[in-house]
Amino acid sequence: MLNIRDLKVSYGPIEVIHGISLDVNEGECVALIGANGAGKSSTLKAICGLVPVSGGKVTFEGRDITNLSGHAVVKAGITMCPEGRQVFPQMSTLKNLRMGAYTRNDDEQDADLERMMGMFPILRERAHQAAGTLSGGEQEMLAIARALMARPKLCIFDEPSLGLAPKIVADVAATIARIKETGMTILLVEQNSLMALRLADRAYLFEAGEIVLSGTGEELQSHPEVVKAYLGH
Amino acid sequence: MIEILQQIVNGLAIGGVYVLIALGLTTVFGILGIAHFAHGSVSMFGGYLTFFLVASLGFPLLLAILVALLIGLVLGVLIEWLAYRPVRNASHINAFIVALGLTMMVEGLNLEFFGHEQVVIPTNLSRIFDIGGVTIPELRLYVIMAAALLIVAMTLFVEKTKTGQAIRAVAENRDAAILMGVNVKTIPMIVFSISTALGVCAGVMVGSLFAIAPGIGQWLVVKGFAVLILGGLGSIPGAIVGGLVLGVTEALAAGFISSAYKDVIAFVVMIAVLLLRPQGLMGKS
Repeated sequence: MLNIRDLKVSYGPIEVIHGISLDVNEGECVALIGANGAGKSSTLKAICGLVPVSGGKVTFEGRDITNLSGHAVVKAGITMCPEGRQVFPQMSTLKNLRMGAYTRNDDEQDADLERMMGMFPILRERAHQAAGTLSGGEQEMLAIARALMARPKLCIFDEPSLGLAPKIVADVAATIARIKETGMTILLVEQNSLMALRLADRAYLFEAGEIVLSGTGEELQSHPEVVKAYLGH
Repeated sequence: MIEILQQIVNGLAIGGVYVLIALGLTTVFGILGIAHFAHGSVSMFGGYLTFFLVASLGFPLLLAILVALLIGLVLGVLIEWLAYRPVRNASHINAFIVALGLTMMVEGLNLEFFGHEQVVIPTNLSRIFDIGGVTIPELRLYVIMAAALLIVAMTLFVEKTKTGQAIRAVAENRDAAILMGVNVKTIPMIVFSISTALGVCAGVMVGSLFAIAPGIGQWLVVKGFAVLILGGLGSIPGAIVGGLVLGVTEALAAGFISSAYKDVIAFVVMIAVLLLRPQGLMGKS
């Protein structure tokens, strides 16, 4: 579904992604793991049109989306739930969710809104509260629900567990597992490698802007290097 | 009591003009972080244009206003596209300089096209209403009503339409707005277009209530920014409350103390508000 070939990303003269290739097939949950600064988030931003691609090719459902502008990528069917949640702080929870459906023109948006409130009951309680006043965990749920409101074909999660309490991290993991069960194609970036590998069908390990290892979630969970460097046992 | 009501009504008319100017400035500031100084001069261009259409070409007033409004919509797009878009990713000082240069250009064009004479847009609205002891000239009443209508329309547009919500979203978090599928290139154009049209309306109101002359544009934009700071930068409710507070304060000061000191008093009130609420009346701390 999503195919990346020899992707390069540079910030000014400094190249941070040195030609990576990866694939996400329909219905799959693929995780990108690796240390801080390994290039996972830059890869996501390049896919979503937030940073320019300096080399290589990104195709989605056979269509070349390399360097498409951000809003066009969303229209193509890729939605990202960004790192740090990035809710619209002064808008109500409800309006944040409606913004998620910005590109849609169908009349099922209210039904989807209802579905999201059912899936995340806390959002119903907070419906008319400014999103900036929600707790970190609630904002994460809002950001996830907002991303789903776009009815994406591919949903990208960038560091969904970052900065959350351990109990909330478990909630987030359970939520992503539920979304995966609905058949959604997911690309997940996580520093919490164990959580990512448990959720993922397949995973890629990033180091210094390159992919150094790939395999199924289980394979990587038991790979000696991964265990030693990333799972810490 | 009647006297106070009278001054408040007087203040609402000029307050309405301030709100229209401030709404334009605040939405532009909200999404681009630009202090669009040329806004006052562009508004005056709208006023001059209306005057020219009515006085020289014999257009009926409402048609002239409509034409000026449409030209304002287009002018806004051009200003964004030609003046501000090229410096979008540059440091803020560049946009600041562009804004100052644009102000001088528009002032110069106004002078070139319309001369340096003071002009008043002829309206032929001379009736005076008396409502419970408060006298309201017909023109002033229409100005208040038109301003109210435009303010309500703008608020509804921002709160209830998809484009309006996208404008808010870009102001609150530009990157997240892109991820929602908002085209962040067209939003500034729409904002400038609407802002300029509101500015043109304000220019027409100033031109018919008072007069248009060189320099009035700068006076208006200074008041507009005062309203922005009073109400809270980037806040739409702030622009509305701030504009009305400034207008009414000025009118009360002029009515009860001295019209020579009305600006001083209005600004003293503004400073007092900012000492107590540095973020402005409706700003988020």
